[in-house]
Amino acid sequence: MNRKVYFLGGSIAILGLLGLLLYGVFYASNPKSIPSALIDKKASAFTVTTFDGKTISLEEFKGKPVILNFWASWCVACRKEAHIIEAAHQKYTPQGAVFIGIAINDTREDSLKFIRRYGKSYKLAPDDKVGNISLNYGITAVPETFFIDKEGIIRYKTLGAVTADSMEEFLENQLRS
Amino acid sequence: MKKLIFLGLLLFLSTAFSGLQADELDDQVRQIAHKLRCPTCQGLSVKESEAGLADNMKAKIRSLLEEGKTEEEILQFFVDRYGEWILRSPQMKGFNLLLWLAPGTLIFLTCLILFFKMRQKSITTLKPEAINPLNEEELAQIEKELQNLNRN
Repeated sequence: MNRKVYFLGGSIAILGLLGLLLYGVFYASNPKSIPSALIDKKASAFTVTTFDGKTISLEEFKGKPVILNFWASWCVACRKEAHIIEAAHQKYTPQGAVFIGIAINDTREDSLKFIRRYGKSYKLAPDDKVGNISLNYGITAVPETFFIDKEGIIRYKTLGAVTADSMEEFLENQLRS
Repeated sequence: MKKLIFLGLLLFLSTAFSGLQADELDDQVRQIAHKLRCPTCQGLSVKESEAGLADNMKAKIRSLLEEGKTEEEILQFFVDRYGEWILRSPQMKGFNLLLWLAPGTLIFLTCLILFFKMRQKSITTLKPEAINPLNEEELAQIEKELQNLNRN
């Protein structure tokens, strides 16, 4: 009797541990990737003053797809993606898309140098001193890019240099629908 | 003169009080920052990290405390934006409960099984047939020692 109970208990414990192992390997999130809690949620509203002195808010772009990029002049991957975003802006802004770049933890002088060096011409603004916008978007590092749909919902986020393909796929989809 | 002394004392007390309040706020910021994972650095808390983003998080914690938010509300603020991984200790709810309770339960169950196993063994070893009865020589020795004790 006792042997049967121990065997049953042991089997349940081993099966439980195996179940946890399988869950961890196949279903739990990848420990190397940082999940975003904001996907499919409404994009946090913000109002900023751009480097050229205009006040813009996310709310005013409702009805248009928005590419919201967080960058900094000291970030190497931001250099890699600078011309990619600028090219996408040149192509899709006339079709109704909006490109916004928020500089974080950067000095105004360095940001302006970076803008001039890479010929960035879309809406560019610094985050405030506390970094309220970046914290509201759960930024973990720069660059990070959020794809916000016409309803103001965050549909996708990239960590690291954004690719032309990902922006093209998202914007083509949004602008055609 | 008296007025001057009074004003000086007032100034001293208000400075000391504001200093104490600032210290308390700093402690609260550190305490909350210690519970948050630094998103840009591996294995460090926001408190330990000197990365720009961690500094922003500390400043945000301070401003939320100044707004009158509780520690729980501030931690939730970061969980809402970063997800639960931002917490250095998983919350005690849902699937996480298993993580919190499993090790203790396993240790408790193991101890319980070991306890019953050992008890069962000691009972078995004390069974009458397992005890060797004393031989005549031993009995005589005991009797002799008892008599010696009675004489004394």
